[in-house]
Amino acid sequence: MEKFDVVIVGAGLAGLAAAYTLAKDGIEALVIERGDYPGAKNVTGGRLYLNPVRQYFPADFWDNAPFERPVTTEIVTMMTQENAASMRFQALEFNNPPYQSYSVQRSKFDRWFGNQAAGAGAMLVSKSRVDDLIWENGKVAGVIAGGEELGANVVLACDGVLSLVAEKAKLREPGKPEDFAVGFKEIIELPEKTIEDRFNLLPGQGAAQLFMGSLTQGRFGGGFLYTNKTSLSLGMVVSIRDLMEKQPPIEAPVLLEEFKQRPEVAALIGDGELAEYSAHVIPEAGYKGIGRLYGDGILFAGDAAGLSLNIGLTVRGMEFAIASGVLAARAIKQAFDRNDYSAASLSVYQQLLQNSFVLKDMQTFKEAPHVLDNPRFFTYYPELMGNILKDLYSFGQEPKEGLVRTVRNRLSFSDITGILKDAWGGRKI
Amino acid sequence: MNIIACVKQVFDLQQVRIKKETREPIMENIPLTIGDIDKNALEEGVRLIEQHGGKVTVVSAGSEDLEETIKEGLAMGADEAVLVIDSSLDSAESAVSAVVLAKTVKKIGEFDLILLGEGSSDNYSGQVGPRMAEILDLPLVSFVKSLKVDGHRIQAVRSLDDCMEVVEVDMPAIVMVMSEINEARIPAVTQILKAGRKPKQVLSLDEIEVDPAEMETKVETLSNLAPEQDRKQVIFKEDADTAAADLFNALQSEGFIGR
Repeated sequence: MEKFDVVIVGAGLAGLAAAYTLAKDGIEALVIERGDYPGAKNVTGGRLYLNPVRQYFPADFWDNAPFERPVTTEIVTMMTQENAASMRFQALEFNNPPYQSYSVQRSKFDRWFGNQAAGAGAMLVSKSRVDDLIWENGKVAGVIAGGEELGANVVLACDGVLSLVAEKAKLREPGKPEDFAVGFKEIIELPEKTIEDRFNLLPGQGAAQLFMGSLTQGRFGGGFLYTNKTSLSLGMVVSIRDLMEKQPPIEAPVLLEEFKQRPEVAALIGDGELAEYSAHVIPEAGYKGIGRLYGDGILFAGDAAGLSLNIGLTVRGMEFAIASGVLAARAIKQAFDRNDYSAASLSVYQQLLQNSFVLKDMQTFKEAPHVLDNPRFFTYYPELMGNILKDLYSFGQEPKEGLVRTVRNRLSFSDITGILKDAWGGRKI
Repeated sequence: MNIIACVKQVFDLQQVRIKKETREPIMENIPLTIGDIDKNALEEGVRLIEQHGGKVTVVSAGSEDLEETIKEGLAMGADEAVLVIDSSLDSAESAVSAVVLAKTVKKIGEFDLILLGEGSSDNYSGQVGPRMAEILDLPLVSFVKSLKVDGHRIQAVRSLDDCMEVVEVDMPAIVMVMSEINEARIPAVTQILKAGRKPKQVLSLDEIEVDPAEMETKVETLSNLAPEQDRKQVIFKEDADTAAADLFNALQSEGFIGR
């Protein structure tokens, strides 16, 4: 049996960040990827917050990364069946490098990242699937890939949200529908200039638009749109539990199709050519959804560890993956120096994560899934906002009422108590 | 025995998308791979060696990406690779490929059997084998669906339109295989890792002494477009029973069912 220092399962952002870091430290790392190349099977909504992870890489590391556009404009749109209200936010600071976030396409980005890891000395094997773990005396001692045994001092599982490795290691309970959402999106190609015109952008700038309200038809979730260089990433994220249980039943692709037909969206994507359709399961349980992070001879990073955070206006996963991959590599380096790959030795990984933004942010927003799981955010508030604005902007034959009265007409005493209640609940985030 | 398997570097066609308006293929960012039937040819070579002993050399001509692409062939079990690398070679027409491959084979010198796929995954001209046979003055057996080696003789079953033909020929010879001859193996992880360390000889066009006149293109590509797809775009929106009946009627009137 061939033996390696580290076998990394999955060439996503966590696996590649770990492979790069280990290779730089001179530790032999073998990354096994099931897709044809890194990124072939990886899916994102479309946005990477780069600032939190810059510190883990050389200053010029990202200079040649195939980013799409920096996000310089943020738009939030609340939708009801009849209307939509948008807020557009631009900060001069967002226009200048270092940009805090970029739109990305994983098939390009991960391929580039894979080349960086390989260039640093990591071994990368694609088109190969890990099927099981090898155990020796209760410790993980390698993997079985394509019927072949590959020994390892430590296995780093970066095999995504439905981690087969975690399942095989019996380190994870089967997931519950309420702890997951499904994201599905289309890549719609449009000329560069058209994108910039439609979103009021200067060349090279980018926009991120979030949609909430009636588009999910009462289900927990929302829509998103990111500008790429010559395409748009348009999609939705919806709770799996709600998709299963809410009546009347509706299928995810139908939700997306109806969303696309909304005039507010149709105007943005019109004349575009559908280039790609993809879907992905997203861990949504937040802090309490974090799985076992390490065991004897094994570590978990990225989605496989449940490191993902939805706080309504931002859904973050990729930078957690990158950071956890780097920190796992650092923990492995320490274990390597001690020549001790026991759970106790690898537990330093947990401390590294706790001292980093990854677990700090997840802890800060640990009530977010609970607070956000409030149907009023997806129905009541968008409707309230839409109705008030409609009254303010509508002109009929009747004399116009005063502004305060117009607002008061839509807000009863019990409405206000309800809002205060939600605000009180929201204090935890 | 010494076997040479000739393979071609092609775009992974499954990943090519067609631009709807112009019907042009979009080749940007498409990974390169070894042609499908070429893999069957190489697989057959590896199987023969496993049975009879000897060496398989994988031979290919293409752009510089070939050094990376060929690792797949080495991982599948080829012992070494001999590559001719030149930026002009990726889109080379069959006549040019045949000259380049034949000259490379001559440079290698010793061989008993040259294996090729019946056609490449991209152009499928099926010409390279016969042209090489002509240049090298070797017997050619094409459309081979099974192959046996006995001493200096091979016995091949040729799959023809309306019959099977069994052919025996003395080596050295050129054999073109069909995809049904075998199932090409998916290389194991350790084989993929070892592939990078296997011997690889990279030659230039000068080194195999190709005359520029032989590189001249004679074929002009007039157009390379996907066939037009005429969709009826009928959607049956009624309840399931009515929609199913309507769909059935529509398919029937188009002559797809119930004839």
